[in-house]
Amino acid sequence: MDTSDQKQIERRVFTSFFQAGFIEAFTGIFLLQLGLPALFSRYGFGDWESALLTLPIALILLIVVFLVRRFVVTPRLGKVKFLPERRRKLSKLIIVPILTLIAGAIVGYIFTENDSLRHIFVGQIPFILIPIIVFGAAAYFLDMKRLYVYGAIVGLVFPLGKYLETVIVSRNTLPATILFTAFVFLGIAIVFLVTFLRKYHEPEV
Amino acid sequence: MKELENQGKKQTTDSLSEIMNIDRLVHSPARLSILTYLSVVEEGDAVYLLNQTGLTWGNLSANVTRLQEAGYIEVVKEFKDKKPHTLLKLTDRGRKAFQGYQNKMKKLLDI
Repeated sequence: MDTSDQKQIERRVFTSFFQAGFIEAFTGIFLLQLGLPALFSRYGFGDWESALLTLPIALILLIVVFLVRRFVVTPRLGKVKFLPERRRKLSKLIIVPILTLIAGAIVGYIFTENDSLRHIFVGQIPFILIPIIVFGAAAYFLDMKRLYVYGAIVGLVFPLGKYLETVIVSRNTLPATILFTAFVFLGIAIVFLVTFLRKYHEPEV
Repeated sequence: MKELENQGKKQTTDSLSEIMNIDRLVHSPARLSILTYLSVVEEGDAVYLLNQTGLTWGNLSANVTRLQEAGYIEVVKEFKDKKPHTLLKLTDRGRKAFQGYQNKMKKLLDI
C-alpha cells in the first residue's frame, strides 16, 4: 500500500461522512431562503416581512438537520478527528465563501455606483458566479465532484427562472423555479439519508 | 552461469528471510485493516473502525487489545452522555511498524 492508496482510503473515509445528504439538505435550505422571500414579495409582502416569514422555516429545517446529524448519523458513523492536512483544507474552504462574498460586495458596489456598468452587475451575474465559485471551492477542498454539478445547477436556477418568466408569463415563475430546485435538493437529501440508514445500523455495545 | 545461479539462490534466501521477519502482528488482515484506517486519521472511535473495517465487535475488540498490548495503538475509554465511548489512536511506534510493514511488503512484492 503506497501513499496514493492511503490518500484514496483517507478520501473514501472523509467522503463517507457526507453520504447522509447534509450537503444536499443545506443546498435545499439555501434555495428555500432565496425562493420563499421572492414568492412572498410577489404577494405584496415587504422585504422584512418576507424575511421574517422565511427565517423560522429555514431555522426549523436547520435544527432538524442538526438533530438528525447528532442523534441519527453520528452514532452510526462514529467520530473521527482527521489529519492536520485535511483540517487545513477544510479551513481554506471556509475562507473561500467569505472572500467571494466580500469581493462580490466590493465589485457590486463599484458597478452599481457606475450607471453605465449597473445593468451588467445588477442582473444575474452574482447569482450565477457566487454559487459556482463557492460550490467549486467546496468540490475541490472536500474532494467531492458532485458539488461541481450542484454549483452549476444552483448557478443556473436564477437565469433559468428569469428566462421561464419570459416564456410562461406568470408572476410566480421565478420563485417557483427556485422552490422546485430547492425541493429537488431536499428530496435528494432524504433519499441519501434513507440509503444511509439502510446501510448503517447503530451498533449494539 | 553458476555465479548467476548462486546469485539467484541468494536473492531467494534473502526474500525468504525478509518474509520471516515480517511483523506478524501487523500482517493479520484484521489488524492490518485497523492500522490502515487509523493511519489515515488522527484519532477515531470504535464505531468508526467497526464501520470501515467490517469487523464484528468481538473481533475488533480482540485485535485492538493485541495492538494496544504491543504499544501500536492508544486506547482511551470514557463516558459520553452516560454511554461508553472508546477512542483509538495510532502511536508513533504503531505508525513506524505500519510504515515498516508497508516498505517490506513493497520490497518483497517488488512494487
